[in-house]
Amino acid sequence: MFKKETLYEMIDWAIQAADNRPIHVIVRSQAEGLTRFANSEIHQNVFEDRTDVQIVLLDEKKRSTVSTNKITQEGIEQAVKEAIENLSFLPEGDAPPALVDSPDLMEMDRFEPTLEEAFDEEKRAVLLGQELDKIILPYKAFGQISYKENSMVIGNSTGIRRFFRGNSVNLSVLISHDDGASGFASGVANAPAELDIAQVFTKAYDKAKMNHNPETIHIGAYTVVLEPQAVFNLMMYTTLLGFSAKNLQQKMSFLTDRLGEKVFDEKITIKDDWQSEAAPGMPFDMEGTPRTQLTLIENGVAKEVAYDSESAAKEGKKSTGHSAGMGFFGGAIPTNLVMKTGEKTLEQIIAETENGLLVTRFHYMNPVNPRQVLLTGLTRDGFYKIENGKITGAVANMRMTESMLKAFNQVAEISSDTERISAFFANVQIPAMKIENFHFTGQTSIREPGQT
Amino acid sequence: MKAQIQQVLKYLQDKGASYGDIRVNEILQENIATENLKVQTLGTSTSYGYGVRVFLDGSMGFAASQDFDQMQATADRALAIARASRLVQKQPLVLAEKPVINDHYKTPIEEDPFKISKKEKIDLLLAAEEAMRQAAPAIFRTKANLGFRKEEKTFADTEGSYIRQTLYEAGGGIEAVAVTKGEMQLRSYPNSARGNYATAGYEYIRSLDFVKHAPRVAEEAMALIEAEECPSGYFDLILDPTQLTLQIHESIGHPIELDRILGYEAGYAGTSFVNTEMLGNYAYGSEHVTVVADATCPLGLGTYGYDDDGVPAERIPIITKGIIENVLTSRDTAAAAGLLPNGTARADGWGRIPIVRMTNISLMPGDYELDDLIAGVEDGLYLDVNRSWSIDDKRVNFQFATEIAYEIKNGKRTGKIYKNPIYTGITPEFWNSCDGVANEKYWKLYGTPNCGKGEPGQVAHVGHGSSPARFRKVKVGVADV
Repeated sequence: MFKKETLYEMIDWAIQAADNRPIHVIVRSQAEGLTRFANSEIHQNVFEDRTDVQIVLLDEKKRSTVSTNKITQEGIEQAVKEAIENLSFLPEGDAPPALVDSPDLMEMDRFEPTLEEAFDEEKRAVLLGQELDKIILPYKAFGQISYKENSMVIGNSTGIRRFFRGNSVNLSVLISHDDGASGFASGVANAPAELDIAQVFTKAYDKAKMNHNPETIHIGAYTVVLEPQAVFNLMMYTTLLGFSAKNLQQKMSFLTDRLGEKVFDEKITIKDDWQSEAAPGMPFDMEGTPRTQLTLIENGVAKEVAYDSESAAKEGKKSTGHSAGMGFFGGAIPTNLVMKTGEKTLEQIIAETENGLLVTRFHYMNPVNPRQVLLTGLTRDGFYKIENGKITGAVANMRMTESMLKAFNQVAEISSDTERISAFFANVQIPAMKIENFHFTGQTSIREPGQT
Repeated sequence: MKAQIQQVLKYLQDKGASYGDIRVNEILQENIATENLKVQTLGTSTSYGYGVRVFLDGSMGFAASQDFDQMQATADRALAIARASRLVQKQPLVLAEKPVINDHYKTPIEEDPFKISKKEKIDLLLAAEEAMRQAAPAIFRTKANLGFRKEEKTFADTEGSYIRQTLYEAGGGIEAVAVTKGEMQLRSYPNSARGNYATAGYEYIRSLDFVKHAPRVAEEAMALIEAEECPSGYFDLILDPTQLTLQIHESIGHPIELDRILGYEAGYAGTSFVNTEMLGNYAYGSEHVTVVADATCPLGLGTYGYDDDGVPAERIPIITKGIIENVLTSRDTAAAAGLLPNGTARADGWGRIPIVRMTNISLMPGDYELDDLIAGVEDGLYLDVNRSWSIDDKRVNFQFATEIAYEIKNGKRTGKIYKNPIYTGITPEFWNSCDGVANEKYWKLYGTPNCGKGEPGQVAHVGHGSSPARFRKVKVGVADV
């Protein structure tokens, strides 16, 4: 990991080498130590320190990109030289949007030094050892605990500079019994006090203990109570597929021609807010544009989508500050999702459910039809039957195939309590959800020949 | 470099390591993409660094850096991590035996893709797009892309191996997207997910002949907009290699990874319904199903000289006439299961440890002419090019969508097409329903450059070959639920 001044110097080298050409530079420096455990012991334990420079060089109607981790002055100058050479091969295209030119400086340092001390490789092993000793055979623990720190600087030839630094700890725990019963829980923290490792292990252990002798049930439509991790699985794909302006322009989004319409149940309000206590993020995007708050869905009505400079220019608008990097994930994506919560706790929602299924999380989700947000995936690590307000037994994992345009219009409850979940770009705060008429389309048992 | 590596390996031994290896990678990549006749991406990237892996008193540690002046400090970090691992170690990690190798392997290529001008590459993509647009002027979006990779890799270990490899990859594809109100349909060539990739030079790109295939791709995308929705029910299916590649990947390739079987991936990617007691006796598929894992296969995206344990690449029988015989192993997993390492441990660049990865997992050709396979179908579908995929954490229940379904009635393709086909099944039931595979004339190899696994995340480049194959009474669609 490099200091801010060293990272800024790399930007200066690139801009100097560009010789007055428009240039945008991103330097990312990351160090991560990750300890993996399986069968209740550490089996993989790794550390990586990596710094990359990405250079985007613009001409009037051309753009070339070069990335390198050769971060000496010579290495960066060579990368810029290559980017200049690439311009000569390019035919003219659309004029790239102008580089961000204000404000001059934005810096945020969210680095928490006590986190680094509390979760170095030795402490991670000791903390894990304490919890792994509590797991009694034939139960076993699997998962990982990682400590990561990131620094990023952005600069361009207009003179702007951006800096962000942060660190986090991520824990995921799966407890599994020899008979296949398993339970999952996770935690994420930006300060030592935010992560109760024992609580995460206990939650996964308890879920596994409830998951024995699963009953195979028929495919069909059921009332489901989705725990926050399962809601997040659905919400992540809905966000990726729907809330990017580029996806609307390319008519890939389920919101194509539907902005301003009611698309979900009125209980659903989703915002993107990097300043929220619930989902704090960077104050600027990968183009250096200051992030704005977006109201994506308000009382079920589709309101806004995320723009980067390119998608904004196509509509004569301003970027909302949500660029995920040139051409990445449709250009722009909301990263700091905050969902409006309901009035009942998850516990109360379960207690008020006469007949339903409780889902811990989904596995291997993928979109089947992006325009319909038709998603498929399978339950995993905690799938239970709810009868008369109580969890009465385990259910064998099943495949769901469901359009979120239907599911998010059949929302019976959203919980008041939420869980902090580590997402791809930022941590998010997600409630549980009760949905009616949710479709399970496949079973996971291997049948004997002749069995139906 | 060699002297520096050997000095640090000796340092590891002096510090008590029972085993250590150092892997240096320099990866050069070039990606070019066009969309609607404009260049979207012209990008190159370089990544150069090394990783030090150490086994100390039965515990492992790994540290990676791009600072070559700090190789000994990085080795110290790996040792410190191994000592930390030891605090929670119950069973010592052991590495299975392997030979000592000194060699240099190079992908056989005819034309170095990095020496072909970028202008020529851009012109090819734009010509392919033009051909799509001429064939279907109302097409909404056309795309084309090329990708190239060169990896210089040096592996050295405390057992005396010193292996250099120069690996090339080349590939690309084209795509046409048709849109109407409320609907989007696409067709792609030679496969979806950015096309097809091989360990090869630029001659491979020439062989793909994008321009020749472009009109059909665009016309079929437009035709799909008007096509009927694929019916639901139980149908006989013939899967084209463009779909079989992912069917093999998800429902054979991943289940036979020994690290998954041992639970090493249980916390993330999942486990497997396969166990080592099945080897030699479990009917994974019908007698028509013979599968090999071949890391020596020419052009295969999972082809190389040596894996990242320093074990030579092999061709391994996985399923022979339906019976599972072998699984994919690394040195550590093989030792844990009492098996031999078979050269399938690979790392995603210098910053990651080697883990069990697929090589080229291929369904061997059968005896059928394609027309004979089709002639045996009274009411069925021929499914082409994957569009969506999903499978559970034990690799039992899969569901795939393809770009197009061609109707088969009374032993003939009727010319009718359906949109949005989905089929689903249970892995061993599905492979046991296979009653015919087309012969070697129809056998094609596809590369998958985006196989994800491991924590921190790793992406592997793997290959799958097959001829069209027939499966009986497979569940199609979800409309009946």
